[in-house]
Amino acid sequence: MNIVVAMKQIPDLQQIRISNRRPVLQDVPLTFGGIDKSALEAAVVLKESLGEVKVWVLSAGSEELEDTVKEALAAGGDEAYLVIDQSLAGADSSIIAQVLAAGIKQLNDVDLILFGEGSGDNYSGQVGARVARLLELPLVSYARDIKIDGDTAQVVRVLEDCEEVLEVKLPAVITVLSDIGEPRIPSVTQILKAGKKPKQTAELDDLGISAGQSNPVITLSNLAPESNRKRIVVKNPVELVEKLKSENLIGG
Amino acid sequence: MDFALSKEQLMIQSMAREYAEKNILPVAQQIERENKIPDEILEGLAELGLFGIAYPEEYGGAGGGYEGYALAMEQISKVCGGVAMTISAHCMTLSTIMAFGTEEQKKKYMTPGCKGEHILSVAFTEPSTGSDPKQLTSTAVKDGDKYIINGTKRFISNANWPGTILVFAVDSETKRPTAFLVDKWCEGYSISEPWDKIGMHGGMLLDVYMKDIVVPAENVLGAPGMGYPILQLGISFGKIGVCSITLGAMLSAYEEALKYAREKMHRDKPIAKFQAVQLRLASIASLYEASRWMTYRLAWLANDVKDPVQFAKEAALTKTFVGEAVIDLMRDAMAVHGSYGLINDYKITQLWRDSIIAPQIEGVTDMQKVIAAAVILGNI
Repeated sequence: MNIVVAMKQIPDLQQIRISNRRPVLQDVPLTFGGIDKSALEAAVVLKESLGEVKVWVLSAGSEELEDTVKEALAAGGDEAYLVIDQSLAGADSSIIAQVLAAGIKQLNDVDLILFGEGSGDNYSGQVGARVARLLELPLVSYARDIKIDGDTAQVVRVLEDCEEVLEVKLPAVITVLSDIGEPRIPSVTQILKAGKKPKQTAELDDLGISAGQSNPVITLSNLAPESNRKRIVVKNPVELVEKLKSENLIGG
Repeated sequence: MDFALSKEQLMIQSMAREYAEKNILPVAQQIERENKIPDEILEGLAELGLFGIAYPEEYGGAGGGYEGYALAMEQISKVCGGVAMTISAHCMTLSTIMAFGTEEQKKKYMTPGCKGEHILSVAFTEPSTGSDPKQLTSTAVKDGDKYIINGTKRFISNANWPGTILVFAVDSETKRPTAFLVDKWCEGYSISEPWDKIGMHGGMLLDVYMKDIVVPAENVLGAPGMGYPILQLGISFGKIGVCSITLGAMLSAYEEALKYAREKMHRDKPIAKFQAVQLRLASIASLYEASRWMTYRLAWLANDVKDPVQFAKEAALTKTFVGEAVIDLMRDAMAVHGSYGLINDYKITQLWRDSIIAPQIEGVTDMQKVIAAAVILGNI
């Protein structure tokens, strides 16, 4: 069985500083999105329970991917398929979906394709659905649990006020919630061996996609929310408690 | 010259940080109160390969080199110095066996240690002996193909955990210190209660009592009479651990001072806006950065020690600098906190207690300067 986990390379959100309400991205290390890491964890858990499973890590982006993918290979990915082109950093969802779908076609006998429900940076949540459409595969979104039985996946899908239990024939695309599994912390040995795992790289030309097709997303404004201090002055603890109650910060 | 960390080193750093924040931080206050590390923390560290991070896979290690070790120790110590101290003392023993052991000894004693099944110790110091080998009173009397060891050792890290303890005793034939690989909990081995020390709780120091311990002659490390050179190199490796642990405390104090300076208001503005506080923050940053790069360099040198004497000098210089820098840094970090720096609710007080240990262990700072000066001057 082949499980493909699509992962997006993004700046490490823990290390972004804010200056004048704008994120400073310079020198911020790259990593994969948190929900993508949960998707990988789900694939690795399936592998551990089913046995004969190969977990592919699929990603498209800038050349730094060659290093970033080591994180996914350390966390349980068996082999990587990377599409590398500078124009893919910041490309819009439709192009990324075309590239990933073309990449998946290069891999044989793919049974299950996992995505995080949204990326860690733009969180558009479109790519999984677009890839399913391009590959003409069924899509199940917002999964918090996946069980495989033969050629069928049983998926628990979380909606706003209920959970659905669905069955879907494989191959299929499933987008997962972070609740599906906390990413494991790789050991030192797994980290050091990640770079030695097999890895295939392709360029856009190899997939018959023109670099000119890539439309970068232009960010017009990306400002951190302003927080205005209320500057409430109190004279004693009783007054403090009253103010906190009036601000609904403590119970009445 | 490239000071950038490799992707693998960044991942090791990140792994140790994540484990420490997720698993050690929730029990850090418990460790501080009870002076004991929960078993599940030690098991988790073992699973990640942190007990043998620096050592080759053929001896059960993870092959991450000493830079990986330093990076991981810094992150663990940032959350809990005592946990890092336990690994540091353990790794000092592993490094010594790695440097002087026979192939058989390395396989036998390092493998369970690197896997975290054993936690190792070095036992040199005695109640009346600091670093002076001539004052050693523990004895190893040769009896056929074995030795009978007697004596008392003081302030021995990890003496309570199962595994190997590297005991230094004066052997009856050479009349000089000899290093013996001894199994803790063998017949004749007993320990005291842990010493109630000022900081680094969880990293336990105990006294060890040895009464007629029988050790086969094949358990001599190196050769009879070689104990002191073995200790000197072993303790040089140990300084990588001590300096890395100290870096963790420095980094934590740096962050605490920054956070406090940004949050504490005076005349309607954060105290970080005042130049007197800014000067202290700049000093903290420079002391941390200098200590960090000296320690990382020492770790890099340790991967391929060509000249043990020169390495001992480098280790002594690094330990001297880091041991003095941390005291200056903590003083500045406490000053930023003002009177709150004296209140135990603030983490800076614990960091102060933890880091005051740095200039005292693995040889006091004066001793480091004596070692470095001796190498620099040669025969004068």
